Amino acid sequence: MAGFDLLSDQGLRLDGRRSNELRKIQCKLGVFSQPDGSSYLEQGNTKVLAAVYGPHEIRGSRAKRLLDQVLVNCQYSMATFSTGERKRRPRGDRKSQEMSSHLRQTFEAAIKTELYPRSQIDIFVEVLQADGGNYSACVNAATLALVDAGIPLHEYVTSCTTVLAPPPATSWDDEKLEEGEIALVDASHREETSGSPTLTVAALADSGRLVLCQVGQRLHLDRMNRALERALQGCKDVRDVLDEAVRDHLANCGISEAASS
Amino acid sequence: MFAMPVDTKRIQGPEVSVPYDQFLAQQSQQSNEEAIGKERIDGRKSDELREIFLKTAVLSQAKGSAYIEMNNTKVICSVFDPREIPRKSEFSVNGELFCEFKYAPFSCRRKRGHQQDSEEKEMSAYLKRALEPAVCRHEFPNLQVDVYALVLENDGSALAAAITCAGLALADASIPMFDLVVAVQMGISITGKKFLDPTLEEEAYCFTLSGSDEKGSFGRVTAAFLPSLEQFSQVVQDGSMVTETYVEVLKELAHASKDAYRLSQECLLKAVQTSKEIKNAEQKN
Amino acid sequence: MALKLLSDAEKVFILHGVKDDFRCDGRTRQEYRPIEVETEIVSNASGSARVRLANTDILVGVKTEIDTPSPTKPNEGKLEFFVDCSANATPAFEGRGGEELATEISNTLSKAYLCETVFDLQSLCILPGQQCWKLYVDILILECGGNLFDGVSLAVKSAIYNTKVPRIASATIDGGVVDLQLSDDPYDFQTLDVSSAPVLVTLTKIGERCVVDPTAEEEACSLVSVVLAVTEKGRCVTTLVRGEGSLHEDTLIDMLKVGTSLGIEMNKALKAALKLEQSKGENKERFGFLK
Repeated sequence: MAGFDLLSDQGLRLDGRRSNELRKIQCKLGVFSQPDGSSYLEQGNTKVLAAVYGPHEIRGSRAKRLLDQVLVNCQYSMATFSTGERKRRPRGDRKSQEMSSHLRQTFEAAIKTELYPRSQIDIFVEVLQADGGNYSACVNAATLALVDAGIPLHEYVTSCTTVLAPPPATSWDDEKLEEGEIALVDASHREETSGSPTLTVAALADSGRLVLCQVGQRLHLDRMNRALERALQGCKDVRDVLDEAVRDHLANCGISEAASS
Repeated sequence: MFAMPVDTKRIQGPEVSVPYDQFLAQQSQQSNEEAIGKERIDGRKSDELREIFLKTAVLSQAKGSAYIEMNNTKVICSVFDPREIPRKSEFSVNGELFCEFKYAPFSCRRKRGHQQDSEEKEMSAYLKRALEPAVCRHEFPNLQVDVYALVLENDGSALAAAITCAGLALADASIPMFDLVVAVQMGISITGKKFLDPTLEEEAYCFTLSGSDEKGSFGRVTAAFLPSLEQFSQVVQDGSMVTETYVEVLKELAHASKDAYRLSQECLLKAVQTSKEIKNAEQKN
Repeated sequence: MALKLLSDAEKVFILHGVKDDFRCDGRTRQEYRPIEVETEIVSNASGSARVRLANTDILVGVKTEIDTPSPTKPNEGKLEFFVDCSANATPAFEGRGGEELATEISNTLSKAYLCETVFDLQSLCILPGQQCWKLYVDILILECGGNLFDGVSLAVKSAIYNTKVPRIASATIDGGVVDLQLSDDPYDFQTLDVSSAPVLVTLTKIGERCVVDPTAEEEACSLVSVVLAVTEKGRCVTTLVRGEGSLHEDTLIDMLKVGTSLGIEMNKALKAALKLEQSKGENKERFGFLK
């Protein structure tokens, strides 16, 4: 178990958040001009860039093409300086490959794949700074990039990581103590690596359908529901933030271009 | 790009080893440096090339080959027939050159590995860029010509020797070319002394400041030249040089490469004549 | 390099523009596009910088680690360059696609920083023959809009300028084991001297003339370009001839002269920009990618 308490007696987390509070999300659509869609997303200290190319003709071997739907190609990569200790390779290691395939699964569910048979959509995400919830930040950033690229989605797909923290030893609120473990939404790196069970969820937030659900460490089935509910609520909160960003971007994108030209 | 798979069966030797000579008495090194500073150890003038021995068709297996010897710097080059570019699906209008530059394990003071290290890869890239402009690549679209340069002994100017040698080997392989390629290296020391075609010691001397402050220019320049077209195909430079000195060095290199060019031409001519004589003799028989 | 597909007519248009000293974006042949530099972008790195040169976007992070010096240079620290061409820039860089370009850039940089007059590696020495600092300069290419080499060198120089190497409180050898004590104060650090570090200036030959700071489209019209590493004093420390073409002696000499004079200016401009940013101290506005 953790050497330090994830929750203070007052029910506050290490960075001062309450258990159901997201980190500050700042994002921008259309950061680059060459990709068809791009976005930058900061979730606390986790910073992610995403770029989308496509839909376009299949690159490389034609055997890969699918006759009834679009091929979604994802690449997850981390800058060598993004982590506390220097990473030797930005991609190609097992963890990145796993992340890439998880991203592919997630977006195959979110994109209206049947619209572009025999074509390909590339989604590239680059983690510039890692501070927990990397996968979630990548999904959120890639969603924005897909919106920027104008690729039809069923709905926003957002992701959230929760950690089940042991309750504080003493609390001002005795009722809370009896509830047992507390689910912390949008976990930071320190919370993720504390050894407590983590649950990462990607969901189509409006309809509440799960796309990906991943558990780390042992999570008792009784606690599953609590964590899942928190995570889904987190996804919905993220969705609202993203939606606002998209509306903001659309309202302003014509104006800023007109002003600069 | 074609890469050999790693040979795991071969005994690699210790991963890190240090040549013993750096533990030799500092004095001898210093006196050596002083000696180079005065005049060249082999008695050459500052703008004099070493004696060059060139020979083509030294290997029977390769389509074309050449050997160059500049005193102790020895390089052998082989060129193979155009072949299909491996792992390539699109059509390319121009043929490609694949160049591999390799120091033989025994060629330098320290032991070289069997695999290409990063320095050798860099050298391969220089070799490729030096040769490319000289070759009529449109004559063999979608095909690749392999050029291998192996340094048997390195006593300075190895890259220059390899480029000259590879140029000859390409000609020997009857690859259509716009011009022969020759390369020459020049070093300039902090004291302002110039060394054309430097030896290994002189090369090192041209890259040390030896305590003096940075006022003069120093460094090394290797230039590959297409003499009849008067074009530089590659310039590799290091050290620290002011423009005037750099320009001077380039001009002298262009001039010097004409001497090397004559030798290359003579060598090719001789090769053609001998092959003609052999043919004539065969016909008589 | 990201390949742009251009028709012959487009190429001719660019060629004529270069000939008349009036390029597609209105620049003359020796004019740069606007350049933005921002330091301290990544908090996990000891130093970082981002350079945006019109469409070219480069992020550099410097990390410091403790290492043992190489036996041939016991008094020197180490400097290592690593370039990562992100697939964000172009799908061609996916997987190992950008590796060739990446090695070319990192080789050029390590050659440019090799000379002892350019960067003082001895300042990275902690205990001669025992311990030294190793700087990992990691370069991430996020978008290629032409002129990568120049952008990368500017970003590298800014990031090293921004690098904070922790001060060593005490270094002792106890029975062959080195004992290092780092200073506890996060504001107690040493910075590195980059005053004589070079910037790269690329001169691209288009038609009969050469231009600086080519766009990706202009690069597609060129067969050969010369990359010069120039220090503030106007010294050339590395030369690289790129592309499949060759150059006449006079052209090359012209390029050298133009390149060095531009290199001096670039160094000065960068120095001024970095000083200006530093003078704002902690209160400076932070933009990152959100601007």
